[in-house]
Amino acid sequence: MLFRKLFQLLVVGGAVLGATSSCSTPAGSRRTALAKDQGGGDGTASDAGTARSGDSDGGMAPDAGGGVSGW
Amino acid sequence: MSEEPRRQAGEAWAFRTRVEREAARRFARLALAIEAFDADSPVPALLRRAAEDEHRHAALCADLSAVYGQPVAASAEDAAIAPGSLGPRAAVLYEVVASCCITETESVATLTTLLAEQVEPRVEKVLREIAKDEVLHGRIGWAHLAREASISVVSFLSPWIPAMLAGTVGEGLFTAADTDLQSRELLRHGVLPHSLKRSIFVGTLEGVVFPGLEKFGISSRPARQWLEARGPGARTQPS
Repeated sequence: MLFRKLFQLLVVGGAVLGATSSCSTPAGSRRTALAKDQGGGDGTASDAGTARSGDSDGGMAPDAGGGVSGW
Repeated sequence: MSEEPRRQAGEAWAFRTRVEREAARRFARLALAIEAFDADSPVPALLRRAAEDEHRHAALCADLSAVYGQPVAASAEDAAIAPGSLGPRAAVLYEVVASCCITETESVATLTTLLAEQVEPRVEKVLREIAKDEVLHGRIGWAHLAREASISVVSFLSPWIPAMLAGTVGEGLFTAADTDLQSRELLRHGVLPHSLKRSIFVGTLEGVVFPGLEKFGISSRPARQWLEARGPGARTQPS
């Protein structure tokens, strides 16, 4: 029950919030902007993420990507 | 209050202080990045507001940390977390999903769970203050993902979700914990006992994060496999 409520509150509520104005991408390039922007991803990724709290790599992003520590 | 729960609570609040400080810097940076490519988005203004919230939350957490006798170590520098292979706009989406859709969503579930318990009054005051803001912070992530999904295919994020999850929690969450970490007494001081923390983390993934990602076309299969590999305590329903 908690999770169902949170889905409505956060996911559905967030989607509504994001729809308050149109996205600033020209109509001709809709559905392509990010795809062109993705870089060399080939659909595979390492699962060797790293927690970011408490360490620093001087601003360089890890190749495998990382996550964000929370509560 | 006995010594060990006091230490555990102090460390938790000190850790949260660092988390909140880092979130403040991240949100401010992401606000600048998003307005550069989506000038009409409400998200940058909301992220700036969130950054201010996080500074306030950090001060609240630091006060509680001090109450429990724990100093707060210096926070890490703000660092991008997206894989280097992603372009700038995709990298921003990666980071928003990791920090808001996953981490802030998990935080809301944690806060909601804690507030349903008997909590020390001064701790409850802080939890309530933070909880009312964290809902917005979670929504910001889903709002940005919804906007990006409306103009582009965002399924490329699917194989990256395990890396986001691995960076959100330590492997220790999925292993057996010391008795001290399982103490119900921790709840009174705003800290989830280990097994409850794991259960809330997994439940939030299954009930909120994974369905949310699927809603926008991001398969949760790699993430479910990652979770499945963490052992019996992390089993999920098949997608």
